[in-house]
Amino acid sequence: AFHVLILLYSPLKGTCKYWGFCLILLFYLVFYGFLAALFSFTMWVMLQTLNDEVPKYRDQIPSPGLMVFPKPVTALEYTFSRSDPTSYAGYIEDLKKFLKPYTLEEQKNLTVCPDGALFEQMGPVYVACQFPISLLQACSGMNDPDFGYSQGNPCILVKMNRIIGLKPEGVPRIDCVSKNEDIPNVAVYLHNGMIDLKYFLYYGKKLHVGYLQPLVAVQVSFAPNNTGKEVTVECKIDGSANLKSQDDRDKFLGRVMFKITARA
Amino acid sequence: MHQKTPEIYSVELSGTKDIVKTDKGDGKEKYRGLKNNCLELKKKNHKEEFQKELHLDDHKLSNRELEEKYGTDIIMGLSSTRAAELLARDGPNSLTPPKQTPEIVKFLKQMVGGFSILLWVGAFLCWIAYGIQYSSDKSASLNNVYLGCVLGLVVILTGIFAYYQEAKSTNIMSSFNKMIPQQALVIRDSEKKTIPSEQLVVGDIVEVKGGDQIPADIRVLSSQGCRVDNSSLTGESEPQPRSSEFTHENPLETKNICFYSTTCLEASTSPVGTVTGMVINTGDRTIIGHIASLASGVGNEKTPIAIEIEHFVHIVAGVAVSIGILFFIIAVSLKYQVLDSIIFLIGIIVANVPEGLLATVTVTLSLTAKRMAKKNCLVKNLEAVETLGSTSIICSDKTGTLTQNRMTVAHLWFDNQIFVADTSEDHSNQVFDQSSRTWASLSKIITLCNRAEFKPGQENVPIMKKAVIGDASETALLKFSEVILGDVMEIRKRNRKVAEIPFNSTNKFQLSIHETDDPHGKRFLMVMKGAPERILEKCSTIMINGEEHPLDKSTAKTFHTAYMELGGLGERVLGFCHLYLPADEFPETYSFDIDAMNFPTSNLCFVGLLSMIDPPRSTVPDAVTKCRSAGIKVIMVTGDHPITAKAIAKSVGIISANSETVEDIAHRLNIAVEQVNKRDAKAAVVTGMELKDMSSEQLDEILANYQEIVFARTSPQQKLIIVEGCQRQDAVVAVTGDGVNDSPALKKADIGIAMGIAGSDAAKNAADMVLLDDNFASIVTGVEEGRLIFDNLKKTIAYTLTKNIAELCPFLIYIIVGLPLPIGTITILFIDLGTDIIPSIALAYEKAESDIMNRKPRHKNKDRLVNQPLAVYSYLHIGLMQALGAFLVYFTVYAQEGFLPRTLINLRVEWEKDYVNDLEDSYGQEWTRYQREYLEWTGYTAFFVGILVQQIADLIIRKTRRNSIFQQGLFRNKVIWVGITSQIIIGLILSYGLGSVTALSFTMLRAQYWFVAVPHAILIWAYDEVRKLFIRLYPGSWWDKNMYY
Repeated sequence: AFHVLILLYSPLKGTCKYWGFCLILLFYLVFYGFLAALFSFTMWVMLQTLNDEVPKYRDQIPSPGLMVFPKPVTALEYTFSRSDPTSYAGYIEDLKKFLKPYTLEEQKNLTVCPDGALFEQMGPVYVACQFPISLLQACSGMNDPDFGYSQGNPCILVKMNRIIGLKPEGVPRIDCVSKNEDIPNVAVYLHNGMIDLKYFLYYGKKLHVGYLQPLVAVQVSFAPNNTGKEVTVECKIDGSANLKSQDDRDKFLGRVMFKITARA
Repeated sequence: MHQKTPEIYSVELSGTKDIVKTDKGDGKEKYRGLKNNCLELKKKNHKEEFQKELHLDDHKLSNRELEEKYGTDIIMGLSSTRAAELLARDGPNSLTPPKQTPEIVKFLKQMVGGFSILLWVGAFLCWIAYGIQYSSDKSASLNNVYLGCVLGLVVILTGIFAYYQEAKSTNIMSSFNKMIPQQALVIRDSEKKTIPSEQLVVGDIVEVKGGDQIPADIRVLSSQGCRVDNSSLTGESEPQPRSSEFTHENPLETKNICFYSTTCLEASTSPVGTVTGMVINTGDRTIIGHIASLASGVGNEKTPIAIEIEHFVHIVAGVAVSIGILFFIIAVSLKYQVLDSIIFLIGIIVANVPEGLLATVTVTLSLTAKRMAKKNCLVKNLEAVETLGSTSIICSDKTGTLTQNRMTVAHLWFDNQIFVADTSEDHSNQVFDQSSRTWASLSKIITLCNRAEFKPGQENVPIMKKAVIGDASETALLKFSEVILGDVMEIRKRNRKVAEIPFNSTNKFQLSIHETDDPHGKRFLMVMKGAPERILEKCSTIMINGEEHPLDKSTAKTFHTAYMELGGLGERVLGFCHLYLPADEFPETYSFDIDAMNFPTSNLCFVGLLSMIDPPRSTVPDAVTKCRSAGIKVIMVTGDHPITAKAIAKSVGIISANSETVEDIAHRLNIAVEQVNKRDAKAAVVTGMELKDMSSEQLDEILANYQEIVFARTSPQQKLIIVEGCQRQDAVVAVTGDGVNDSPALKKADIGIAMGIAGSDAAKNAADMVLLDDNFASIVTGVEEGRLIFDNLKKTIAYTLTKNIAELCPFLIYIIVGLPLPIGTITILFIDLGTDIIPSIALAYEKAESDIMNRKPRHKNKDRLVNQPLAVYSYLHIGLMQALGAFLVYFTVYAQEGFLPRTLINLRVEWEKDYVNDLEDSYGQEWTRYQREYLEWTGYTAFFVGILVQQIADLIIRKTRRNSIFQQGLFRNKVIWVGITSQIIIGLILSYGLGSVTALSFTMLRAQYWFVAVPHAILIWAYDEVRKLFIRLYPGSWWDKNMYY
């Protein structure tokens, strides 16, 4: 920077009216230019140390969280009126959007994988397994485009967060229960909320193109006498030793809790 | 107190007022200021009080009337019960210390001063933010409340710390004051008792012995050879006799009143001089008490460093507030919620305010104060540490400060020759010719014609330090002969004294007759000393090389030449002569009668002259030279005679060897003083008389035009005029003083320096600093420390300000670019108050870069502590580099965990949503909110470590401002390394020890991240080395002007 400064010193002196100011301007131009270049260079060097496919460390996400769909707007609370389609139109749209990659059309290039075992791949080409949407039964949206909302039996999809290289042990399933004793009617699809091990391992966005996460659907059936009541449902991962569902600080680690209120 | 202020300035005016009055000699002049004060005061509020004082008529009353007035008995004294009553009524007999600010006010000042206000604002914003959150969402997190509490706590803790530091330094002083409790011998209930002098009351009968302090204002009832030293009150150095007679209308001049805190001198006669008196005023009602209370009326001006720190606080607060408000507006216009914008504002304030800096400054100053105390400068007011460093004029006393405060034999004249005696502190090196027989005779006279004696029980004390009973000149002669001849008392014993006429002012000589130890003949030896011209009159012969020669005109002329020469050196000259009385006329049994003078006192044999001076301390000439090279003007202000003053000034270098006064030039060219071109003279000797007739413009002219100035024969009141004159020159003035009357000048000065040994309590109270050894040279070491601390404070502040940018940038980037927050507010506090504290204190231990005593004192309005280059270089150069380095660590951590930099941009909103628990990173993985939060804390820790590592480099580069680190020595200041170690250890503890404590938001960081910022740290070092190199290569260039702070 200094040599450049000195080089430019004499030719500039003649042309600039406020010499001191120009010099300062020039100095900062050169100096900050140099700093910017330097920072870019060091960032570039840092990025070179990274792998495109897998992040260097995965220690901060050892265990997946759970998340529900439709995507909540402010908090995990769903409120709708069965007689008013506009009150749940947003939810349905959100679900449809979410399930778009799961349509038969989208999945036709995916592989049918053997059930019940981890699907480890060696590359260089990684294939994604099919997740037949029909598994979600009443919540698949195939038979009921309203996902049960118009009947007062709303469907909520639960998914497990993607983590590269995660190998669930045992037989993981997602268990959902209602916290309200008088409304025990919570149905989970697939049967028992099973999550098939064939959807693991995940190899990352770049390698594992078209990967579909296994989903579980929860359908809460509101009896007419429960209209307007708030129901709290908690879903938890169960049956796998390395997938945690109890953490004091992280309320979404392997579990999720949401509230539904269905009005008439 | 405010109303009194103009009264003290009346002293300043008195110079012009007195022109009208004709001055009748020295005696009156010395009281002038004092009387004027009283007159002025009469016109003001304190009318009655002072009228009473002026009408003090106790000196006119007879003993009987006094007994009646004070209800006491001269023989029996007061009864204890009555005394107790009076004590309860009047309060203790001590000077009320100047009104102290109440402790709680001092404490609260610490709480709201400096940056505290900003932090309080931050804390309140936190609570307001919580209030807003709570009103919309009852379950809002308490984080903001905690942060507000932490900020409040920071203010309170740093406030307590600063208060404690200040209190500690005040305590040093008060303990010093109380070191010697005064005792008084009082008659109560017809018994003599020793009580603390604080318990004296009006009407007490006290006895004061020679050497004691007068415990209150007393009316003398009876006295024996008592003389008092009133110099601390009036500035006159001659001891004043005191007796019970009423001699003057003016209570200040009459002989029968002694004043509180003056000293009763030790008389050489025995019994030791004592005085019995009645206490007529105690405590603050004494004359001294009044003067001392006047001094407290002189406003305490802000110290230069206080002004600098205020200036600095304004700069930083200005930056903080303007950036805060700017970004608040930006945030609002970027459609952020007001609540979020408030939280940004808090972050910006916290990042901008160097929370620990003021505490660091206090510690730094008190460290220097400690160091100075070791070098005999006791600093009362911490800020005065630096004031001394910016001093540009020192007005110094002569006696005791520049000189040793004891008469010492300086020259001898015998055998027609002048010999120089060693006047250094230990007299060890007497080189003059001692083989002449004239010297043998002279030494005998010196030894015998002397009534001074060493106090008993000092066998192991070096001769020069032994206490002596006797006046100054006799003491000088006694010590002189003891050093050269050995045991004087033994010689005197062998030459028993048979008769003696003591010195008195009419005779102007002293005579004694001795038996001799001469084995050849038992004759009496008469020895005499006195004023040289009087001695010479009595002589008919003169001894040269041991032979008596008749005293003719030519020898008389050589005598006169020598006498004039010695007198011209400002020395006190004594003549010595002797006579061996013929044994036939004066047999062994002869009885000498002093009143009848039955012995000859003429036709003696003149032996020699001896001259004495209070010699300069041996360290002073060096110290004056140092001051001169340091651009500090040393002005001598003394009550002494101009000739003596000038001689001392020349010998210590206040008037340098080759400079002349107007009078000198006139003398050399043999022309009238008026004809001399005043511009030719570099030095000036101004007497109090001349000063009195001067207008302030004329004084200014003298102060501005002459480099070397001596004020002689000045009264303590004139000191104030001189100080104010100097301050009009825009100088930072240091004043030394010891008397009570000096206290207004000490107060008025930018830094008042009181003498620890000779100084009165009032002077010590008014001063900012106390010189424990009364030595001028100690002031110079103080100046050096003061300058060093100014430089080092610059470094400390530069060091501390630098990281503020690195702490601020994250917030700005966070608002504008929308990255997840790189560093948390709490983390910032951990840097400011944790890792950075010890290193910034360590910079106080840095040695000077070059000889700081070779440059001019800083100009108080131009050389600021925090100047533009410092702020710009810290903020926009190093600070920015540091921010980049810290961001590099931050991006590295995020990228290696899966969030590439480009993903992070504008991620903030999604990132912070509590219900988004599947945020996708750059690799397709999904994160829950808590997982992200933990990563965010890891980011904080990474950013923290990034700053920490670069602050180490910052610390190293701040060691010097101009020199290369390699010139300064990387390892010379060990404390820096202690600082670096502490920084690393605290960082490690925070990351690995407290990593699991959620509230602190630290996490365990991978070891390699500690090294990511190292290249940036090295770059900072290299960049600064280049900066310094260019400054050294091109002094005065554009680069130097813009880059040297």
